[in-house]
Amino acid sequence: MLGPASKLALFRPTICLVSHMSVYPKNYIDPIFKKDQQEALKTSGEHLKIAHIPIKAARNNDTVSVFHDDVISKFTNYIMRKGDKLLARDLLDKSFEQIKRVQLEKYNTAKTEEEKAKIQTNPKEILHQAIENSRPLLQLTPIKRGGVTYQVPVPITINRSNFMAMKWIIEAANEKERTIHFPQKLAWELLDAASNQGRVVKRKQDLHKQCEANRAYAHYRWS
Amino acid sequence: MLIRQLKQFPRALSHFSTVAEPAQVKLEHFRTNESTVSSQGSQHIGRFYRIPLEERKQLFTHGGLPKSFEKQAKTFGEVCVMVREPAVEIIDYIKSSDLSRPVNRFVLHGDDGCGKSLTLAHVLHYGLQNEFVLVHVPWVPNWFKRPKETANSSTHEGFIDLPFDSAAWLIHFKTQNANLLPKLNLKTTKDYVWSKRETTPAGSTLLELIEHGINRVKFASDAITALLSELKQHSTDGKCKVMVGIDGYNAFFHDKTRILTENKAKVTPDKVTLTKPFLDITNYDWTNGVCILAVDRIALTEERMESSLPRYQLGKEGFEHCDPFIPIKVENYSEEEFENCIAYYLDRRWIQNVTEGFDNELKHLSAKNPYNLMSVCAPL
Repeated sequence: MLGPASKLALFRPTICLVSHMSVYPKNYIDPIFKKDQQEALKTSGEHLKIAHIPIKAARNNDTVSVFHDDVISKFTNYIMRKGDKLLARDLLDKSFEQIKRVQLEKYNTAKTEEEKAKIQTNPKEILHQAIENSRPLLQLTPIKRGGVTYQVPVPITINRSNFMAMKWIIEAANEKERTIHFPQKLAWELLDAASNQGRVVKRKQDLHKQCEANRAYAHYRWS
Repeated sequence: MLIRQLKQFPRALSHFSTVAEPAQVKLEHFRTNESTVSSQGSQHIGRFYRIPLEERKQLFTHGGLPKSFEKQAKTFGEVCVMVREPAVEIIDYIKSSDLSRPVNRFVLHGDDGCGKSLTLAHVLHYGLQNEFVLVHVPWVPNWFKRPKETANSSTHEGFIDLPFDSAAWLIHFKTQNANLLPKLNLKTTKDYVWSKRETTPAGSTLLELIEHGINRVKFASDAITALLSELKQHSTDGKCKVMVGIDGYNAFFHDKTRILTENKAKVTPDKVTLTKPFLDITNYDWTNGVCILAVDRIALTEERMESSLPRYQLGKEGFEHCDPFIPIKVENYSEEEFENCIAYYLDRRWIQNVTEGFDNELKHLSAKNPYNLMSVCAPL
């Protein structure tokens, strides 16, 4: 038997048209797991506002480690296949090590201080730079108008472009000889992309060129 | 006297000097300029000293430094070893021991990645600088786990020769003692008949014996036997002093190898011709020498990795062979050593993402184990 409240619930009109996939209701907020962010909340007094709002459980890769980086964490997840995060993390760590070895050898052989200052040896910065350099601004979407499908350039969100950049880097690293290992190739691709060269940057530029060529179709986005 | 004192405190030296000197005078707190090992003392513990390129080439071109350390040295552009307690202790003992007595055996033991091999390398550096004849085996399991080639011994019935490995070791011996051997001019004491036409007569130099072993690979194992017994003889006579450094020494006493005989039966280490001379030279029946034996967990196979203590690792037979010996435990970094290592890594840019509290986190991640620390820092 249904109680009065659930009877009402049965007849309540659906507010949400798209089904909500999360196990958490929408009023739940994301956990704040970094120490400095928590401190910032405390000093600004914001924490009082969220004191009584339910919070989602933290994910298992949300850590207070000082070495935690959101981009690295995301990138690891994109490398991951079949849920093997241990392997994914290992691969990324190895390619960071490779990057460091290559750059540090360059750094140590550089003669003057000026030359040394130019060489970026921080693998984290190199990853960030590589993603920034290979981020596209537009993409082509097939839209059917009058029986003809047009490739229409549409602007994309930052999230989407970040995703595409990371995906391209990983795809480029996967296209290799059998004898070369993934971390090695990933290191090369990252170094290339960070200095605005290489296949991933080329792919971005090609896409931009395509979009430029198809600018005449741009109005199909809304008409 | 004053100069020596100043040498020990390089910072003080730079402070008092008025003459313009090159920029390298300003030394970080974790480094020391003292590359003469014999004058390193307890005040240098925890500091890094640089092994000069020449000496490094002579000592370690054919192995001796762990692979991961070699890689690191290439990346950092220098070979720096931390002066640590066990090495200083051994060198102290060697300095104060009476060499005319039967040889002292030091057994290095400790957990994986604590720095046994590097301690051995440090002591070998001392041996090189103080004119010891070096008998150094970089890693014994290389012979038993992945030999280049095997052959039945022609001189000892039922024994196995490792011709290429033996010849490689002779080359290693020759390069390590390249400066010393011509100077000492040691002669063989008896005739060695290799075959009908080949002999090394008594009175020829040890170098000729070594050359013969290298050129006629077939006799390399026997040449090693001859060489080591000659060395023992000469050092007992007081003509030279010998330092024996063997890494992975316990592999000699393991009950199996990966070497197969012709009928596919596994060989035990005591059926390999190389084992006997090296066990012989680590015996106590000679003088004017010193043995440093590193006992390692990973020198054995998986079922024998429970403990890293000498009794377990050497087994009954090995323990009795070495007895009496001086056990030297190589431990994880102390607090000060850990801080210096972090400072060194920061200086060499091995750690770059620095936020507050990173060293504390690294301490807990690596448990202050040198190898773990190095690998934990690799992606940072």
